[in-house]
Amino acid sequence: MSERISRRQFIALSGLTGTAMAVSGCTINLQEPTHLEPYVVPPEEALPGQKVMYASTCGQCPAGCGILVRVSNGRALKIEGNPLHPLNRGKTCARGQAGLQVLYNPDRLRNAVRQDQRGAKNYRPLYWDAALSLLADRVKAAQPGGVAFYGNLIPDALATIVTSFLQAIGGQPPVLYDTLAAMDGRRTLASATAALLGSSTPNLPLFDIGQADILYSFGANFNETWISPVAYGRAYGQMRSRPLGTRGYFVQFEPRLSATAAVADKWVPVAPGTEGLVALALGGIIRELGLARAKDSPAAALFRAVDVRGIAAASGVAVEKLEELARAFARFPRPLALPGGGLAGHTNAAPAMTAVMTLNALMGQAAGPESPILLTPAPPDPAFASALPSSFADVKALIDRMSSGAIDVLFVAGNPIYDLPVATKFAEAMARVPFVVSFSYIVDETAVYADLVLPNNTYLESWGYQVVTPAGARPCISSQQPVVTPLYDTRQTSDVFLDLAQRVSDATRKALPWPNTVAFMQEQMAKLVGKDASYSTKTAAAVWAGFRQYGGWWPQDEARTQARQVAAPAGVMVPRPKLEGDPAQYPFVLYPYPSTLLGDGRGADQPWLQEGPDPITTASWGTWVEINPETAKELGLARDEVVKVISPHGQIEVIVYTHPGIRPDVIAIPLGQGHSNYGRYANRRGANVLGILAPAVTDAGDLAWAATRVRIEKTGRQQTLPRIENNVGVDFANQAGKFPG
Amino acid sequence: MAEAKQGNRWTMVIDLDKCTACQACVIACHAENNVPTVGPEQINMGRAQHWLRIERYWQGEYPDLRARYIPVLCQQCQHAPCEPVCPVFASMHSDAENINVQVYNRCVGTRYCGNNCPYLARVFNWFDPYFPEPLNEQLNPDVTVRYRGVMEKCTFCIQRIHAGADRAALEGRPLRDGDVVPACAQVCPTDAIVLGNLADEHSRIHEFVKSKRAFALLEDLGTEPAVIYLKGGESHVS
Repeated sequence: MSERISRRQFIALSGLTGTAMAVSGCTINLQEPTHLEPYVVPPEEALPGQKVMYASTCGQCPAGCGILVRVSNGRALKIEGNPLHPLNRGKTCARGQAGLQVLYNPDRLRNAVRQDQRGAKNYRPLYWDAALSLLADRVKAAQPGGVAFYGNLIPDALATIVTSFLQAIGGQPPVLYDTLAAMDGRRTLASATAALLGSSTPNLPLFDIGQADILYSFGANFNETWISPVAYGRAYGQMRSRPLGTRGYFVQFEPRLSATAAVADKWVPVAPGTEGLVALALGGIIRELGLARAKDSPAAALFRAVDVRGIAAASGVAVEKLEELARAFARFPRPLALPGGGLAGHTNAAPAMTAVMTLNALMGQAAGPESPILLTPAPPDPAFASALPSSFADVKALIDRMSSGAIDVLFVAGNPIYDLPVATKFAEAMARVPFVVSFSYIVDETAVYADLVLPNNTYLESWGYQVVTPAGARPCISSQQPVVTPLYDTRQTSDVFLDLAQRVSDATRKALPWPNTVAFMQEQMAKLVGKDASYSTKTAAAVWAGFRQYGGWWPQDEARTQARQVAAPAGVMVPRPKLEGDPAQYPFVLYPYPSTLLGDGRGADQPWLQEGPDPITTASWGTWVEINPETAKELGLARDEVVKVISPHGQIEVIVYTHPGIRPDVIAIPLGQGHSNYGRYANRRGANVLGILAPAVTDAGDLAWAATRVRIEKTGRQQTLPRIENNVGVDFANQAGKFPG
Repeated sequence: MAEAKQGNRWTMVIDLDKCTACQACVIACHAENNVPTVGPEQINMGRAQHWLRIERYWQGEYPDLRARYIPVLCQQCQHAPCEPVCPVFASMHSDAENINVQVYNRCVGTRYCGNNCPYLARVFNWFDPYFPEPLNEQLNPDVTVRYRGVMEKCTFCIQRIHAGADRAALEGRPLRDGDVVPACAQVCPTDAIVLGNLADEHSRIHEFVKSKRAFALLEDLGTEPAVIYLKGGESHVS
């Protein structure tokens, strides 16, 4: 420092040092003094403190998009997509944008608490040390195998630590069940892919829809929530960017016109659960007409002797229309069929998905270097193998163990009491568990019945990583780092388990020797030394720095992983779907769907997402039931009437919205609302459709979430569904019809 | 009413063939511009405060039905109907950017401008915004928080236009295409929204506005919007 430094400069520089310390771990360019804004006399309207971007991973859904968070003076100001991240390339979805309202949610728990009587909400604050020794005592005293973990699709760092912990104490592996994953059909898709492409390990593919000339989507709502909506949104944009003539013709097969079907060139309203049958019929016709490109493929055998007429009758799609659709599909060089989440909700999920996948094989698209089906590439190290979510059968097995008294300590990192159908009796089973620990960052429906709540840091305050699955064209491990210091005295769950491991036994100390998650991550990331990346990976320190700075690890170049050949699907015939409930008593098929904004209900505590209009109905802050206008007329129902929707397993009250794009025999209800305990923005709004679902299981072992029949009863009450349709403009309130907005 | 002036001409192009109504832009706009949420009761009174909304129109009848989406925001008219009716010159044309700006500290809340806007793009603060602590930490310090009695609307993220211009000046170069990306365009997964300077001949939007698919909303009113839409949905399969 020069001797002639003035007082003013000195203060300016000390201000700068403070800022640099506050934002350590990121870059400040000292060569450019024009960027420095001293605290002393700030220029008019300028702000002290340099804005910096932290790279991390979004935690609003299991996709694993890379984000950059703009931080100034220790405040997170805006979330953007990470332009370098191979999955989302600088883009995010609506839910990704609202992450700041997770971090700054006014209803967050601020410290560890315990309650003496479950459900009483008389929380007493607890020091972390006391909480952890209490927990350690409970774990040590548990019967063999008496400790269980139930969670959502949690980031891989936490999942790895929890799995090692349970292994060390001789417990069963964690049950990671996720409503969004179930509605994506992740497990079923992975096993259908493995069966068709002859792989021994299940593999979740990403479909390159950007290159498709003709795209047939069987219930894949990829522009809303399906698997990785931002990656698919980008690819959809590419498909629509090509010049007219090759722009990509897109057909959606779905009982309800979803926001994805809304932008399709054609929507085909098939009967619920017959999507796989329609795929079978299309393949049968293509084969019959001699249009199949892989005639000799073993896959073609599936389409021998297909009962096209029978399928036409069952699905409600006429034979002529099926022929037209089959010819169109076979006409273009790059056709692609998507087996969407909608298929996974029916009892015939597995063969239905196989039929759609095999349709790709019939057209020679399932394997080879031109194939648009990108398999998840092998991880750079076995330590980064990512597991599929648990099945609904696993959840039921856990519930049985809980009810039989085999579980003494239950860890919950999710919200099963809200997520699971009431008929699964999770709540009753949980009441029989002597000690329940919730890691929710907010008091949710499950935490209310927990003995101990150890609030997790939000994803913007946590360390971790996520193995992106499906990853697309290259393997990707997305990094997570705190963008601000934790707001409260909360602790990230992986640190809780590492601390617990030190207290429980020699076996746990040996299995989890790390003092904290950062030490664990550093050891994990050292396995990436020498692997190709856009930054230096020569030493562990270089990897660790680059990993955080760039938002993760992925190879510099794309290397698509495609199947080499197609195996024969072993004698699959697609059966008709089975629906729960007597059609005479319950005339409608209930079609629940994840909300574009609230997801499976996890977003309901964020006011931006509550106020965001649904793409189809433009409604917000409530739950509605979509009914075909003709059906509504028959039932004498009009918009804004409150009705009871009754299934054999429960009932909810929702507001009628007549939707011209839904089959007359189907009604649809979005997920997301109906919270009793989830913060001020979520509580007592709308209803939770997940509660009334039948606990039916698909042939793939998952929840058959679309297989419940219902009936509708009037309540005689009216309630205006908040929506911007017909209700736009400062001075036109409630003048419906004046502006068809 | 201001005539088109020399200098910058910020123009937005929205490709309706790519818009999926995913609402990412709507939430990004709330986050960037400190737009408050108003709650269900106010929405029912027509007071939703989104600066950007996606209108949905039905086309055809069941089962041959399609939805058409149009994101509607302030059209930044060159002949803006909101400007001449403002008694206090709060709604005015900016010479530097050639867009329509709202001067919040002039606004006295007559709502004449909102009344006169054919696009219903202006929203009014009927109440003070409420951000219970620590939700106020989310506020973007680059953008004013508006209070009760003030009209507001899309600004094309003018704070980002200024930041882009400052950065270019700092580096001693003219503003390049892509230097300025508003929050809605930055987040849009399908890249349906593009902002550019029409005065810059090398900008991407130059090609777009010449497209046969280009049109403006309510063109016959003669408002000369600075938002150009590209018609979508032409199919090559009959």
